[in-house]
This record gives sequence, structure tokens and C-alpha cells, in this order.
Amino acid sequence: MSLKRWFSGIYILGLTVAVTVTLALSAWLFHGAERDQWLQYERRLAQVEANALADALSAAGPDEIGRILKAWQSSRPERQSAVVIAGMEMIGSAKSEDQAPRRLIRAEKPLYDLANQLRAARETNLSEGVVRKKLIVFDEQAKDAFVVTVPYLDKGEFAGVLQIRMRHVETDVSGTVSYAGAALWISIFLAAIVLAALLHARPEMPRDAPKIVALAAFLGLTLFYQSQRLETFAAADLESTRRVASAVADAAKQHDVKAVSPAIVSRWDTDQYQRPLGVIRTDGAVVGDARDKLFAERAKLLERSLWAVEALGLVLLLAYLLGYMRRLADTVRHHAAAYAYVAPAMVGMLVLVFFPFLYGITLAFTDTTLFNESLPFSERWVGLVNFFAILGDFNLFTRNADGVIWNYQNFYWTLMVTIVWTLTNVTVGVTLGFILALILNTDNLKGKAIYRVILILPWAIPNYITALVWRGMFHPQFGVINQILQLFGMQPVGWFDGVVSSFFTGLATNGWLSFPFMMVVILGALQSIPKDMYEAAEVEGATRWQRLRHITLPLLRPTLVPAIVLSVVWTFNMFNIIFLVSGGEPAGANEILITKAYKIAFENYQYAYAAAYSTVIFVILLVYGVFQTRVTKATESY
Amino acid sequence: MNITIRKLCATAAAFAGLGWVQAQAAELTIWHAYRGGEKTAFEKVVKMFEAKQVGKGVTVNTLAIPYDAYADKISAAVPRGKGPDVFIYAQDRLGGWVESGKTVEPVDFFLDKQTKDQLLPGMMEAMTYKGSVYGLPINYKSITLIYNKALVKAPPKNSAELVKIAKENTKADSGRYGLAYWYTNFYFHAALMNAFGGHVFDKDGKLAINSKESVAAINQMMKWYKTDGIMPPEPSEALVASLFNEGKAAMVLNGPWFIGEISPKVDFGLAVLPVIDEAGKKPMRPWLTIEGAYVSAASKQKELAYEFAKFLVSEEAGLVLALEGRQLHTNKGIYNDKRVSGDRVLKAFHDQLATAEAMPNRAEMTMVWSPATTAMNKITKGNATPEAAIKEAADNIQSSIDALRKSR
Repeated sequence: MSLKRWFSGIYILGLTVAVTVTLALSAWLFHGAERDQWLQYERRLAQVEANALADALSAAGPDEIGRILKAWQSSRPERQSAVVIAGMEMIGSAKSEDQAPRRLIRAEKPLYDLANQLRAARETNLSEGVVRKKLIVFDEQAKDAFVVTVPYLDKGEFAGVLQIRMRHVETDVSGTVSYAGAALWISIFLAAIVLAALLHARPEMPRDAPKIVALAAFLGLTLFYQSQRLETFAAADLESTRRVASAVADAAKQHDVKAVSPAIVSRWDTDQYQRPLGVIRTDGAVVGDARDKLFAERAKLLERSLWAVEALGLVLLLAYLLGYMRRLADTVRHHAAAYAYVAPAMVGMLVLVFFPFLYGITLAFTDTTLFNESLPFSERWVGLVNFFAILGDFNLFTRNADGVIWNYQNFYWTLMVTIVWTLTNVTVGVTLGFILALILNTDNLKGKAIYRVILILPWAIPNYITALVWRGMFHPQFGVINQILQLFGMQPVGWFDGVVSSFFTGLATNGWLSFPFMMVVILGALQSIPKDMYEAAEVEGATRWQRLRHITLPLLRPTLVPAIVLSVVWTFNMFNIIFLVSGGEPAGANEILITKAYKIAFENYQYAYAAAYSTVIFVILLVYGVFQTRVTKATESY
Repeated sequence: MNITIRKLCATAAAFAGLGWVQAQAAELTIWHAYRGGEKTAFEKVVKMFEAKQVGKGVTVNTLAIPYDAYADKISAAVPRGKGPDVFIYAQDRLGGWVESGKTVEPVDFFLDKQTKDQLLPGMMEAMTYKGSVYGLPINYKSITLIYNKALVKAPPKNSAELVKIAKENTKADSGRYGLAYWYTNFYFHAALMNAFGGHVFDKDGKLAINSKESVAAINQMMKWYKTDGIMPPEPSEALVASLFNEGKAAMVLNGPWFIGEISPKVDFGLAVLPVIDEAGKKPMRPWLTIEGAYVSAASKQKELAYEFAKFLVSEEAGLVLALEGRQLHTNKGIYNDKRVSGDRVLKAFHDQLATAEAMPNRAEMTMVWSPATTAMNKITKGNATPEAAIKEAADNIQSSIDALRKSR
């Protein structure tokens, strides 16, 4: 029992769990980063080989292709094969049994498609004046070997592709890091336990001191671990760059290049877009600043993830030290059956609600568009750029001779429209609903049931049908509203031409759709108000207005406030009405945030920007929700 | 308890066995968005294909998907290795699918001269993106001139005749117009723009919408609308249909989808879009939307899938699709058939093909519609000059495109 109690002490448990989780996650991150680093290094070597070989082929001319490929392959055992294809033809191969030149066979379709892909990529990069398509492609499926394809140029023009295959060579750049890592891991872990035991055993310290010591110990130990591993990681990167430099020199020897010129280095040591990396000099030395910058760029994501892990560990530790964990454990133990019953629903929520939600928020921190969605996540990560672009754009209006011209594409304009839209709609809905409910609540009203059914009808019809009907009614020439106006001798109105009139079309439609809900809610509340209150008031001589003001309204409040809260959220995101009735006309002036996000995502294909937009909408509603809950609580008492 | 488990195991084993037997026979899944007569004809063609593969045990499953969910479903399913072997869609999404990758399989490796030669000219262009072919074109749609025979004796050959006939039939105060089409919709307007030699994109894919040709085309439209007064204000799909069906529009420009909406009371004729005198006697060149059959990049049986696509563009499939599905099929051969050439609707749209051009299949095209519509509305309502409105639209489109084409 005492051992169990000892183990469940907050210092022991807190430090052990926090340190374990932080170390495990950090180690996992480092493992991934180191594997990636190794892969990048090996790929860079393969790229140097391929770029150098393609260069040699271009220099020598088409007749020499077979000879050069064979010479290249036979000089090293890890070089497995090399082919050059142009159009439907294989024009050169390192293997004699390929009998180049010959027509491609069916099994070589992927190679043919790849050649077309690289041709299109090159053309795209050249014609658009941007670099967005990779020119060096690795076969991700290939096991035990690197299969890399680069463009083959003839007289500076795209003529085909060169594909080489090289066996993996087991060279661990990071050396003995895995053993050292494990040793470090264990010693830090032991240190944490010993420290925790000491803290546990000496409770005569001042009240909060052990907690502070525990926090400091946690930070010290984990940060030490991370910095140790980061150092090794950086050293490995430097070492791999040195080896790439010697690979460039080797390749120069292979292809009988007398001296390594800057042009050669920048053509051979490139990224996958064939842009020079600029980290090695012609003499094989490493350019310090450039490499540091490149490394910092690559390690950025890793460092940020490490901070996140550190923060997670800290939160865990605090949760133990401050007793939240104990309370959580008690609750779980206490209500185990209840949690078991809720579990299926929780799993459902997790998969159907929280996963898409978190995915959306994550997407907001990338620059994903239609054109780059197939790139790995780490290459698309941009941080807060989208949020700055949305919230930091204050180009709300420009002034010229005619006065102020509003920029309807601006976020703040759309936000303002959304807020005005929400306020007016809720006002209209509540007012109409309230009046109708009061009328329906009249005693001895004949045909009450019929009225009620008729008034609920707008709510019962699917709202997109209603929206389309209203859109038709607002047609300038053939719509019924303008025809009625003309009947009374008025000029027809171009409803969707003006900002205000177009806004009104949405308001009218949504007002029509929203009053039945309010009416039903209010009617229910009205009927639950005891009649004797009114009778008493009447006896006291209260007027109708006084009865409404001092009995009806206060008693409605507990029902009305939640209904309004709900209604605000619904209207804020009322996609159908805006999208179908006015479509945001004119010129997007009447767009609300949610329809705007839709257009950004599915007309402009800027998925990440739209995700950031949605996240902003979420935050706005969250703030509103928190605020509103407080207000509601204040009124609950009544 | 034990028995239940055993039963379950047995059932599972039986299903697994069944799956294995099925895996032996080749199975193709095709997605399309056809309904009604088109669907029936398509399914008939599928049966014909199956019958041809006798002995190989090929079964083809078709799945009709509601149109509005279709494209997104493909974008979501195929890159993750799910979905059909072949899917049918118009060319407008092709560029986006190629750019985002892992969706459409290039087929130029399979494509032979014979297959290409049996198709009408200009069709492969819509299936080609950045020099590679990604599908086989099945059918095409474009707008043409449809007129009310009771009001128009002979259809106009050029814009002067068009205006003359239209003016005779225009009485704006009683809601009668000589010409009606959805001219504020950029898709319909493109016929005029192309006549003047305007383009949305140049051949390198640069935005070319802000040109003097575009302005000239808009001025031509505004002349018809304002100066000649032969077109109704605020046009829409529904308005054009109701005017034509009530006999209040003598001529409309519309596509094959409109034929089914024409009231039986209206005796209509079809003719090729007129030549525009103001554009140096160049014909109006409407945009073609071409539906293609694409082999999915996720397909496990790409060759068989391609065979199926190839069968869809063959003459025998074309005849069924044209005569029973009322499709404007891309196979040249079927237009020699009496039943097709004798059908005035099919013949009229086939005639229009000579002066039609494929709508761009670039992904950037979706960014054009909304700003272009805004510009057209501003111009027709007199809120902006054509030059200013087009420039503003071009700037907006360009900034959307730049957001997409960013350097890595």
C-alpha cells in the first residue's frame, strides 16, 4: 500500500509522465527528422549523379549517349541502370540487352508519362515565370534503390528524360547517434525519477518550493536532451554537405571535366526544381552562411514541433502538480459506467466532427491550393501568413473624385455585412415572431389551429426552394414584386443592382424563413405564463402595455435569450440564402463570410486561405458564444 | 455462442471466396452523371462493350452520380486510390485535375492514329493539357441560332441581316424582342469575343482577357442591346426560355439542352450563328464543352479501362449515343448515317461545329467566371465603361491566378 502511495505521489507521477511523454515525442520527432535528413542526403547524391550525367549527355551529343551511359554504369557497383528516352523511343541505355534505340513497350508507359510530366513542368515554369513544378522526380515506390529522373536537354531544348537507378549505400551520416541517443534518454529518465523521489521524501520544504523545483527540473532535463540531439543533427547536416561536395568532385572526374567551375556546381547540386543550392564552393569547401541558412530553413519545422512538445509536457506536469490529474482520475473512476455509455458517441464525434475541424484549422497554416495539394505537408507549411493576409488587409476603401469606393473583397467589409445581416435578420425574425405569437395567443381566436399551420409552413419547406422562389420574385422584369410595384405606378427596381436593395432581398427571404421558429418558441413560452398574473395585474389596474412590459417580456426572457443566441449563430452562417438569392451581388458586396470562404475555396481553389477564413469565422463565433453564455447565465436566475 | 461464431466464420469465408472468384474476372467501374434517355443509351453501350468481351469475363458497373456532387467526389476519391476506373466529365475540370495530380491518367501512350482519325476535328484539343492527352472526347455541346419559324422566314447569315430581322420583331413596350440570349453570361458572350479574335488565355496560358478585341466584342453586344434595342434587359436562362416559348423572342442563341424546353406550340428552326460584319466578316465562334472519358489514375486495369473509353468513341457506340441518348457524338462516321444526318437538331449542331472552338480546360478558368459576370453586369447596367470593367475583371482574375501559381 505504501509503495503504491509512493508511486502515486504527484512529483513521482507528474515528473515521470511528463518527462517520458516529452522525451518519447522528442525522440520520435528526431528519429523522423534524421531519417528525412538521411533520405535528403542520399537523394542529393543521386541528384548530383543524375544532373552531372545529363549534363555530360547534353555536351556530348545524341550519338554518344549509349557509350556515356555504359561507362557511367560500369564504373561503380551501386549504379544499377540508366536510360534516356525521347518521345516514344528509348534512345540510350546502359544495358546492352535493351537494344537502344527502340520503341517503348507497354510496361514502360510510366516512364513515358514521366517524360511528358517533366516536359510540361519545364514549360510551365518557363512560361509562367515562376518555379512551382519539380524537374527532378524520385520514384517514391522504389525500394532499396533511388530512381531519379531528370530532363535531358539537347542544344538547350527539352529532348527527353534521363532516368538512373542507384542502389542504397548504407552510410549513416549521423554516426553512432542512435546509441548515444538511447544512453542520453535513459540517464535523463533516471535523473528525473531520482529527483522526484527526493522531492517526495522531503516534504518539509516551503509550500510551493517542490513544485517550482519540479518544473525547473523538467525544463532543464528535457531542454538539455533536445539541445544535445539538435547539435548532433546539425553536425550531421554539415557532414552530409561535405560529402556532397566530394561527390561533385567525383562526378567531375567521372565525366572528364578538367576543373569544377561555379556553373557546374550550381547545375549539379540543386534542389528538386533544379535551382542551385549554393552551399558548396568549387574547391569542395562548404559555404558557411548559405548552409546555415538552408539548415535553419529545414530545421524550422522540427524546432517548432519540439517547442510544442515541450509545451505539452509542461501542461501535463502542471496538471499533476496542481491536482487536476487526480481530480480527472477520480471522475473517470467514479463515473466509469457513464463514460462507457458515452464512448461510442464520443468516438463518433471525434471522427466526424473533431477530426475535420482540426484538419481544417491545420490547413489554415499552410498555403495549400489546387496546384500544390499533392506536395507533402511540411513543404506547404507557412505559419500565420494567411491570417496576416486576411486580418492585416486594411485596404477597405479608396477615395477618388466621385467619393469613396468601397473594396468589397476586403475581409472587414464582408465582416461588417455579416454583422449587419445577422442583426437585422434576428431583429426581423424576433419582431415578426413575437407579434404573430401574441396574436395567436389571443383567447377564443377562431381557427387558431389553421393559422398556426399556415404560419409554420415557411419553416417546413426546404429553405433552398424558398430561396429560389424569392429570387424569381425579385427578377427586375418578370418578378412578381416589380409587377406589383408597376401596378401602383411605381418604377421597377433592379433589386440585385444596388448594395442596399440586394441586401434587402436576402433580408426579406430570411425574414420569411426565420419568423416561424421564433413564433413557435415564443408561443410556447406565452402559454406557460400563468393567467392569474395577468388577472392580478388587471385587478390592480395595469394597462395592456404595462402588462406586456412587466409580465410578458420578463417571463419570456429565459426562453427568448437562448433562441436568439441560436438564431444569431444560424444567421451568421446562413449560406443558402445569400448564395441562392443574391449570390453576393452586386460585385460581391453582399457576400457574408461563409459564402466568401466558399468562393475562395471552390472558385479560386485557395484551399488554405479559405480554411483560414473559416477559422476566423469560428473564432468570432466562439468569442460571441462565450460572451453570450455569460449574458444568458445572468438572466437564468429569473 | 460457439455456433454463432462458427456461423460467422463460415459466412466470412464464403464471402472471401466469392470475392476471390470475382477478382478472377475483370471488373470495371464507370462513373457518369447521365439521367433519363442519356443514361439508358449509355447503359446500352456498356452492355454492347461487355458482349464484345465475351470469354474474358468482363463486367462493367456503372454508377450515376448527381451532377452537383460529381466533380468534388472525383477530386476527393481518386487521388486517395478509390473511385472508378473510368469517369466521364466535361473538359473544364481537366486542367485542375492534372495540376493537382494523381487523378487523371495520361493516355497518349495508348492513343493510336486510327482512334484519333475517326473523331471530328478539334475534339482532341479539349482533352489535351500542356501537350499530353488525358481522355477521349465523347460528345460536344455548343450554342447555335434557334429561331421561331412563324416570325423568321429565313435565318440571318450575317449581323446586318440579324439586326434587320430582329428589329422587325422587336416591340419593347409589349415585351417582344428580336434576339434573346443570356448575353451577360460570359459563356454565351464568348461566341462574340471569339469572333473578334479575343481570348481568355494566350497559348502560353497568360491571361489575355484585357484586349481591344474583348472590348470590341462588348461594344458589339452593347450595340445590339442599347443602340439597336433588339435584346431584352436582364437576361437569364429562364427569361430566354419563357420569351421564346411565348413567341416573344424571334431568335435565341442556345444549346442542345434548350431543345427539350421548347414548347410544342413553337415551330422552331436551327441555323449556324451569323457572321459578324463588324468583326471583319468573321463568324461567331461559340465555345464547345466536350465531355471526355478519362482513365482514373487509381485504376488497377488501365488498359481495359482505356479499351472501354475507346469503345465509347467508336462508330457503333456513337450511333446509339446519338440516336437514343440524343448526344452530339464525336465520331465522324455517324454523321454519314441517314438517321443522324436526317435529324435536323443533330445536324444543326454538327454544322455549328465548323465555327466552334473548345472552351479552355485550364483550372484558372473557374476564376474567370465570377469577375467576368460582374464586369458584364456593370457594363450592361451602365455602371462602367467596357474598358474599365474588363480591366478591373482582368486585375481580379490575375491576382487569383497569381495566388495559385506561386513559386515554391
